[in-house]
Amino acid sequence: MTDMLTYPDVVQLAVPGFVALILAEFLWIAWSGRGGRYETRDAVTSLLMGAGNVAAGIALGFVAWGFFMLLWRLTPLNLGPAWWVVVLCFVLDDLRYYWVHRFGHRIRWVWASHVNHHSSQHYNLTTALRQTWTGTFTLMMVVRAPLILLGFHPAMVLFCGGLNLIYQFWIHTEAIGKLPRWIEAVMNTPSHHRAHHGRNPPYLDCNFSGVFIVWDRMFGTFVPELDKDRVDYGLVHNLATFNPLRVAFHEWVGLFRDIARPGLTLRQRLGYALGPPGYSHDGSRDTSARIKAQHLARHPEDAGTPGFEGVRPPAE
Amino acid sequence: MPLSVLVSLVVVGIAGIALLLHLAGRSKRCVLTREDAEAAWQRHFPGDIVEQVTVARDGHAALVLTHLGPGLVWAFGADTVARRLEDFDLIDTGDGLRVEFHDFTASSVSLVLDDFERPHWRNLMRAP
Repeated sequence: MTDMLTYPDVVQLAVPGFVALILAEFLWIAWSGRGGRYETRDAVTSLLMGAGNVAAGIALGFVAWGFFMLLWRLTPLNLGPAWWVVVLCFVLDDLRYYWVHRFGHRIRWVWASHVNHHSSQHYNLTTALRQTWTGTFTLMMVVRAPLILLGFHPAMVLFCGGLNLIYQFWIHTEAIGKLPRWIEAVMNTPSHHRAHHGRNPPYLDCNFSGVFIVWDRMFGTFVPELDKDRVDYGLVHNLATFNPLRVAFHEWVGLFRDIARPGLTLRQRLGYALGPPGYSHDGSRDTSARIKAQHLARHPEDAGTPGFEGVRPPAE
Repeated sequence: MPLSVLVSLVVVGIAGIALLLHLAGRSKRCVLTREDAEAAWQRHFPGDIVEQVTVARDGHAALVLTHLGPGLVWAFGADTVARRLEDFDLIDTGDGLRVEFHDFTASSVSLVLDDFERPHWRNLMRAP
């Protein structure tokens, strides 16, 4: 299939809106004295990461596009451009996003790219733009292959992915509390996504959804934002640099240093690349599962509460 | 959107937001008390037993002695970061010490320490 379909680059078109909403959020915080925090260098780093993400997309976008067009030539299916196909594509692409995002937290190779999005200790609209420069290298484009092979045109799939990204912009804020229950039940909201950005134990590896929070509810990864556990934003081991190059590449550097260590077995090297973040061949580091278990050892009263279902404290 | 317009928008947007935040006082570094420093350390290393905290006179850093050895917590913008003092070099800068970590995520930190503080911190940082 080689027929062409074109859609606007909605992310580029949204850039003026991003800038305007950041200004509006900051002015609201400055005026009201609540609703979040801004710090100059943190915000500038986030914005530079966003600019770098757009530049990387321009420079390396041909890789994913070439792969998708190859699949499009192979598939005998074509669902066409009807509006309901776009809606269906958007929903299925959001399911695709859930799994890519979950892989991004559970597989270090993918985390090396995604980690920079979580590297700010702040949570405001600039954090939404703190995006990866190295997404192409994770090869997560393969997760979109089923959509193309099912007959969704690559341009439509990328258009829906752009809409998904734009949706997720506004949920990176502390200025909005909880929304009406039916919205919180179905949609990803600022409250759900604040929990996702938490570095404190109950919030590790939760709420991977992009637009519809129902995926987390379906796959057992949903944790509500809890009044008793105020979200502490950032990484388990926070970065001590605002340098965008270090932010973009630090986990890749760590990963390649680990797999190149002398004296490891092939299985251990693969563990450092494809195991969960925090994997170590000698148990000297902590995965999210171990951090949760250690928390329960200190706070057994939290056993069975959201974020700790099925978690057991470490054996004595 | 033409690339030239996009680039101009991004450059002006980032510069404008940076200037606005700076003029609005959002560039201040956090100042630590002893209690803040201990809480900051526990935030980064929740399992540690803190035995002693020494805050620099300018309040932008603190030396923390724990049951696992010494560590440093310091102002990182409005927030804090912390590292154990395990693999690092110390350089005397005249008005303080520069700690160079062998860590890609925390290359170095400059501490402002007076003539009295400097040798004291040097000794504590090398504590076993």
